[in-house]
Amino acid sequence: MRDKNAGAATSLSSDKEFSAVRKSSPKIDAEGLALGRPAYADDLAPPNALFVKLVRSPHAFARVASVDASKALALPGVACVLTWKDVPRTPYTRAGQGYPEPSPRDKFILDEYVRYVGDEVAVVAAADERTAVRAAALVEVEYEVLKPVLSVDEAVDNPILIHPESGIHENFPIGFEPKRNIAAAYRMEIGDVEEELKRSEIRVEGLWRTQAQAHVAMEPHVSFSYLDIHGRLVIVTSTQNPWHTRRIVGMTLGMPLKDIRVVKPRIGGGFGGKQHIHLEPFVALVTLKTGKAARIALTRKEVFRATFTRHEMRIAVALGASREGRLSAIDMRILSNTGAYGEHALTTFMVAGSKTLPLYNKVKAVRFGGDVAYTNKVSAGAFRGYGAIQGLFALESAVDEMAAKLGMDPAELRKRNMIAEGETSEVFRIMGEGTEGVAMKVESCKLDWCVKRGMEMVGWDPKRLSWEVAPGRLRARGMAIAMQGSGIPLIDMGSARIELQDGGCFKLHVGATDIGTGSDTILAQIAAEELGVELGDISVFSSDTDHAPFDVGAYASSTTYVSGSAVLKAARSLKEKLIEKAAEKLGVGAGEIAYEGKSFSAPGGKSLSLFDLSFGTLYGDGEGMRTLSATESFTGRVSPPPYLAGFVEIELDMETGKVEVLDFVAVVDSGNPINPNLVRVQVEGGILQGIGMALCEEVRYSESGRLLSDSLISYAIPTRSDVGRIRVEIADSYEPTGPFGAKSAGEIGIDTPPAAIANAIRAATGARLYDLPFTPEKVLKAIKGRVLK
Amino acid sequence: MNATIVVNGAVERFTFESGDMLADVLRAAGYVEVKKGCDTGNCGACTVLVDGKPILSCSFLAARADGRAVTTVLGVEEEARRFASFLAAEGADQCGFCAPGFALTVIALSRELPEATEEEAREYLKGNLCRCSGYEGQNRAIMRYLEACNAR
Amino acid sequence: MVIDRLVVPADPDEALELIREKRGVPLGGGLWLRMSGKRIGLAVDLSALGLEYIRDSGDSIEIGAMTSFREMEISGLLDERFGGLFSRVVGGVVGLQFRNMVTAGGTVAGKYAFAGLNAALLALGAKVVLAGEGERDFAAFLAESGTKPFLLEKIALPPRAAAGYSSLAITKGDFSILVAAAAFAGGTWRVAVGARPGAAMLSESAAAALGGQARPGAKAIEAAASAAATELTFSGDMRASSEYRREICPVLVRRALEEAIA
Repeated sequence: MRDKNAGAATSLSSDKEFSAVRKSSPKIDAEGLALGRPAYADDLAPPNALFVKLVRSPHAFARVASVDASKALALPGVACVLTWKDVPRTPYTRAGQGYPEPSPRDKFILDEYVRYVGDEVAVVAAADERTAVRAAALVEVEYEVLKPVLSVDEAVDNPILIHPESGIHENFPIGFEPKRNIAAAYRMEIGDVEEELKRSEIRVEGLWRTQAQAHVAMEPHVSFSYLDIHGRLVIVTSTQNPWHTRRIVGMTLGMPLKDIRVVKPRIGGGFGGKQHIHLEPFVALVTLKTGKAARIALTRKEVFRATFTRHEMRIAVALGASREGRLSAIDMRILSNTGAYGEHALTTFMVAGSKTLPLYNKVKAVRFGGDVAYTNKVSAGAFRGYGAIQGLFALESAVDEMAAKLGMDPAELRKRNMIAEGETSEVFRIMGEGTEGVAMKVESCKLDWCVKRGMEMVGWDPKRLSWEVAPGRLRARGMAIAMQGSGIPLIDMGSARIELQDGGCFKLHVGATDIGTGSDTILAQIAAEELGVELGDISVFSSDTDHAPFDVGAYASSTTYVSGSAVLKAARSLKEKLIEKAAEKLGVGAGEIAYEGKSFSAPGGKSLSLFDLSFGTLYGDGEGMRTLSATESFTGRVSPPPYLAGFVEIELDMETGKVEVLDFVAVVDSGNPINPNLVRVQVEGGILQGIGMALCEEVRYSESGRLLSDSLISYAIPTRSDVGRIRVEIADSYEPTGPFGAKSAGEIGIDTPPAAIANAIRAATGARLYDLPFTPEKVLKAIKGRVLK
Repeated sequence: MNATIVVNGAVERFTFESGDMLADVLRAAGYVEVKKGCDTGNCGACTVLVDGKPILSCSFLAARADGRAVTTVLGVEEEARRFASFLAAEGADQCGFCAPGFALTVIALSRELPEATEEEAREYLKGNLCRCSGYEGQNRAIMRYLEACNAR
Repeated sequence: MVIDRLVVPADPDEALELIREKRGVPLGGGLWLRMSGKRIGLAVDLSALGLEYIRDSGDSIEIGAMTSFREMEISGLLDERFGGLFSRVVGGVVGLQFRNMVTAGGTVAGKYAFAGLNAALLALGAKVVLAGEGERDFAAFLAESGTKPFLLEKIALPPRAAAGYSSLAITKGDFSILVAAAAFAGGTWRVAVGARPGAAMLSESAAAALGGQARPGAKAIEAAASAAATELTFSGDMRASSEYRREICPVLVRRALEEAIA
């Protein structure tokens, strides 16, 4: 058995040969999707399913004094109306995370209290949509309206308690203090930050503010459920985490998990917005109560109002450095706004530090801490970047400010201080996602090349970071670096099962959740590479809890690294079994078999094709017949970060403050790209979402806490004409712990635009912006350096 | 009310309420390639052609399609397949939710402005939002597709 | 949308009667109506009234009420007579599909404050023709409130004008924070500012500062620009504060004027 890459110990991919990976193979579902074949949950719902509509609170904070559903129930076709008294009172968390969840269990399916405008009050099910809508409008709710807490700055220790109820709890210590309106808290220090800051020759300090952002996946959330012929509950849902959904729904409804099946069909985008349990409990309850199939599809308004947003954060950063530009200390303190419920509260907050601070691993002291507070706003949850984009905005702005103070090229300051291959950071060991971290040596890091190449591509000249192109029109450049992770070490597990079929093809079952990213394709590429076959020889079946082996789901940039490693292990195991079988058939020892080009050969000119071998295993080998398959699992011992250097060129209209991105260059190290096209598109897509966060997107509320940005009119995402070019290059890198050297690419793209753009604006105007998004008004204000009267 | 609409070349009779929108009537009749992504006519996922003109079926009264020809992406299947291969070659076919409306609008572009520049193509397609791809890969696919169409 | 009864009259008198006597709601593109979520008793679809045209009547350019934004955007006649104004004003709105549906009449009759088109028409000195009521000045029409039901038939424009337009929006698909339109027709300047966020209004003092010259100099333009910002009122909303709108008003007015005389 020859491994063509054995002995190639370098950390580059380019000196290795591959047949199936590192190829931009087209996704296996391209045509079906473009032709709109039925594939998404809303396309697949049983035609006779009851339509479910939710009655929602018009108040930001209230107690539900009474619910009178009599008028609604009187409508013909209304099957049931459920209120908080009709549903199990089990506290749970809607965060799609492993068990036990690092988020507080502070939610009831329906509760006596409603905590944001849009919070669910009652579940109405009817024979058709029109009736369900009418019935929902007829449900009469009496509220005892309470004064809400709408500002995160006033939330901690506010006498108004957003979660006064009993029964809620944390699963393990996460700093949960609901009596102070705190969902989670954390502190850590390495070295003595105060001392180092005092001793440093140059200091930079600032308070950065990031806004809540909406995912705006093109497909609104949809779920449906029904009882199969065995009376099991089947839930088909737009989710990133089928197993977490199954477990959490089961435990919350008090049902044995074996009686629940969760299926993820095609999903129209997630970005973290579907890394939650959202509509499933409602349809499940209706199905259990009525025995009938039940379906619910959110309107876009409901997606804005009543799913999740990114956590709004206030981030204070202090940096200390020597006059030569050696960073000596970093202090980062965060106040994060988790909205009405604490999904992903601790973990997003910790990632703001754990996936940013290690970038500058040579400092002598580092401190990170803060609180995550409740407010009576839309619940914040998982969203691509997951804290890193917020933390990097602050950190990379502070570092850039430091460069300005030192009179140094911002790129040079990065080069002097950023982490390099072979190094480590204490932060890896100390900070995990909700718990302690894992010590890790960085085996692959091409950040140096990424910075160098990015500078080349954008035309970086530190002496000319800004220039006039016309009276009142400036161009400017800014940069930022970023890191993320590849799965959560020792916590994220993925499994794969590969089976030989007749015809010499393979069935690959993975729990991994393709949310449009193409993971089905890249996992098949990994299997094909290891098994020495073509991509088309692998059929992938995924994300059905009945048929696929376990996988945590698509989040934390885990699919390529964790699920991919499981696929690789399974493929390796199966290959061994194939070779053993071939050896048996050819009457030689397994060590004498050479396997190449879908054929097994032995000394003496004997050979057996994979095709023939497969038929033998199923039909011809008599007692020797057996299904050849292998099931393997993988949990990362480390989480090797992808790295990215982002460079932006903007044009700034000095008279209006309008900023346009002309060119965004990103050079990414995600290890060996299993599918370079798909890596590139992940990064391009992430960059545009990051530009949206930097320039135009903002979740906004009225003074009474009602969401103002509840449509695509009031929440504008970048259009095709809003950005000049986005150019992505992939560094030549190889992560030895990853499948064929791969790391991840799902989140890293989103992380640099806010800081890079802030830094470009600073270069152009001398003014630093601390508040996202950089609307024309804010930019103009900063330029003019005064309060507009 | 009743209406006769020619959908993808086939004469079909529909029954619906006066205020029903074309997207809902089509989806209920099984044309699930017509997607609904927003409530406000902004996203373009529901795009169909009415007498060859791209419109937003989520905001177009089904009654107004009476006696007219409606084309979904399946009505231009061959061209859509062809365009899909260009999308796939870029890896730009991600979640696919915007894809049917987007592909149909690209085909409309290729018929209305076959010599479109990249800027013109972007402007033409501005009403087709995509949240996955960052538009770059889509734009590459469009230009290559137009090139290929013109080469024929 | 819930519509109890939908009619598609082919006779303008019948349409007018349904609107005036039977509380019929005229349907243009229908997009805004749909979003209002109202229940409509009687909807009057205007598609069969032959109101889709852009034509030269000799002493004016007429745009039929059911003319789509797209038709205005690509009209060679409008392009030639108004120096590309229309493609700049309506060309970027949302998307092609949207523009194939939204009508000139719907936007004008709706008096939508956010619509750049209304500011541009104001600057052109447009007149609106209401069925059975004759021609009216668009500025006067915009300023009225609480009128009785009407049927907008067409918009009449001067045969030609030198015109310019400038707008600011956060993204290219978003509502404008502010728009400014300026046009010189028949020896008169008109300067309009819209999306204040209030409805478009003419600035008399800006027009006065330009003194009826076909090619005012930079000083006159600047005077006109700041006059507009002083004369008009602005408010704040979720997209911008009133102070910011006032701050950029002279910038947009100046740019519109520079474009008009270019």
